[in-house]
Amino acid sequence: MSYAKLVDVTKCTACRACMVACKNWNDLPSDSQAYGGTYQSHTKCDGKTWNVLQMKEYETSSGGFEWLFRHQACMHCEEAACEKVCPESAISTTSLGNVVIDQEKCVGCSYCTQNCPFDVVELAEYVTEDGETVERAQKCTMCDGRIQAGLQPACADICGMDAIVFGKKEEMKKLAEARLNEVKDRYPNAQIYDPAGVDGTHTFYLLAEDPAVYDLPENPKVPVSAVVWKDYAQPMGKALLGVTTMAVMTGYITNKLFNKEGHAEEGGQTDETDKE
Amino acid sequence: MKQTKNNTRTVKRFSKWVIYAHWMNAFAFFALYLTALPLYSDFFNWLYPLLGGPEMARLLHRFFAVMFILPPVLVLIFDRASLFHWVKSSFTWKKEDLKFFIAFPKEFFGGKANISKQGFFNAGEKLNSVLTIVCAGLLVLSGIVMWFPQYFTSGIILWAYPVHNIAFGLSVAVVAGHIFLSLGHPNSKASMRGMIKGDVNITYAKDHHGQWYDELVEKGEIKEDKSEGA
Repeated sequence: MSYAKLVDVTKCTACRACMVACKNWNDLPSDSQAYGGTYQSHTKCDGKTWNVLQMKEYETSSGGFEWLFRHQACMHCEEAACEKVCPESAISTTSLGNVVIDQEKCVGCSYCTQNCPFDVVELAEYVTEDGETVERAQKCTMCDGRIQAGLQPACADICGMDAIVFGKKEEMKKLAEARLNEVKDRYPNAQIYDPAGVDGTHTFYLLAEDPAVYDLPENPKVPVSAVVWKDYAQPMGKALLGVTTMAVMTGYITNKLFNKEGHAEEGGQTDETDKE
Repeated sequence: MKQTKNNTRTVKRFSKWVIYAHWMNAFAFFALYLTALPLYSDFFNWLYPLLGGPEMARLLHRFFAVMFILPPVLVLIFDRASLFHWVKSSFTWKKEDLKFFIAFPKEFFGGKANISKQGFFNAGEKLNSVLTIVCAGLLVLSGIVMWFPQYFTSGIILWAYPVHNIAFGLSVAVVAGHIFLSLGHPNSKASMRGMIKGDVNITYAKDHHGQWYDELVEKGEIKEDKSEGA
């Protein structure tokens, strides 16, 4: 059964309880960033801050002012680019649809951070149980431990406005449709953002404005380079090596069988030169 | 092994700088191969502890990357003529060269093929060289992008990975063939001496590089070889 987190930005009051609950539940370190001229606390999601409350001061087409808020976190793509490019099979999609990183398998190669269409996953430095300092890919897990146990993700649980709700994807889709009808009057550009290019996401939005206003890609996709790399180059490279190895082995055997004389000489030591 | 009289006659083939460069490049290639193998396929994850963990593996990969880039630079400095001759020959292709590849499979699998007289680099060696040069170029360029992503746009960074992957896959296949022909194939393994001692047996030169051999005889650098070559 596919589950999803619906973020209804029109309900959000930017209280940032989701950010606090996330840090708290996931035991993430505080990461103070310098004042950037807005109310927004962090520029974007990274390995130490798995969700960020984005705040946009937005001028509407009719000249009005809107505060646009968006709870920003991993989208949990159905077709996850990070999972595709991970060379260690450290990234996987669970039966509920959330995408998780196995910290034991991750080696910090950063392939996922470069290929994420939403620029969410990042490396974070932390100290392992063995006291070793390592850099590993980190991102929102949708509170995997909680949802596997039948609980809500921490951010959804804490959200006082029900701007973040978690449930079966179908039900969440219906809820989003219903909410879209309710907010159409106030936000004529309102729309559901569940991008088809990555086959839908398990964190999806009811946005008040176009995705671009929220710095979201219009049509996110698994990068073509990642498809070429993982679906074509890698299997073909392996096949090519297999073919060459087979040819070489066959060549070795046929030479043993049919080419007992050899007609060139290593240091002039073959039978043929001896014959002269 | 029967060592006989006349067959120790050899002719110089490669300079010492070419030989150093070749082996340095070969060593770096395999070191790069090993240090990246667990990133190519998690089937090889057991290599990480041997390499000192993923961070150390990446550091070593960069160290050997420098070693991989150095050889052509060294030859450029110390033996420019050999480098230019190699590159020029490798990219000079004539119609007869195609005939080589029609006859070659028979030779490869142990038959006696009637191969037309070849130059200093035969068509097979030229193909090996072209693929090696192209693959190495792609590997180095894409590797630089991966090493220093801060200087490149994300589109270039993303494409560096498949390019590195393709060039790697191709070069490993080429190397497998290259090694077999120099170590495993009874007809051509005489060439190995050229890359170790720098000279090759004259009979080998006559059999595998007929044109080059003829030139040498014409110039009077060697005396004609009387042995019955194939």
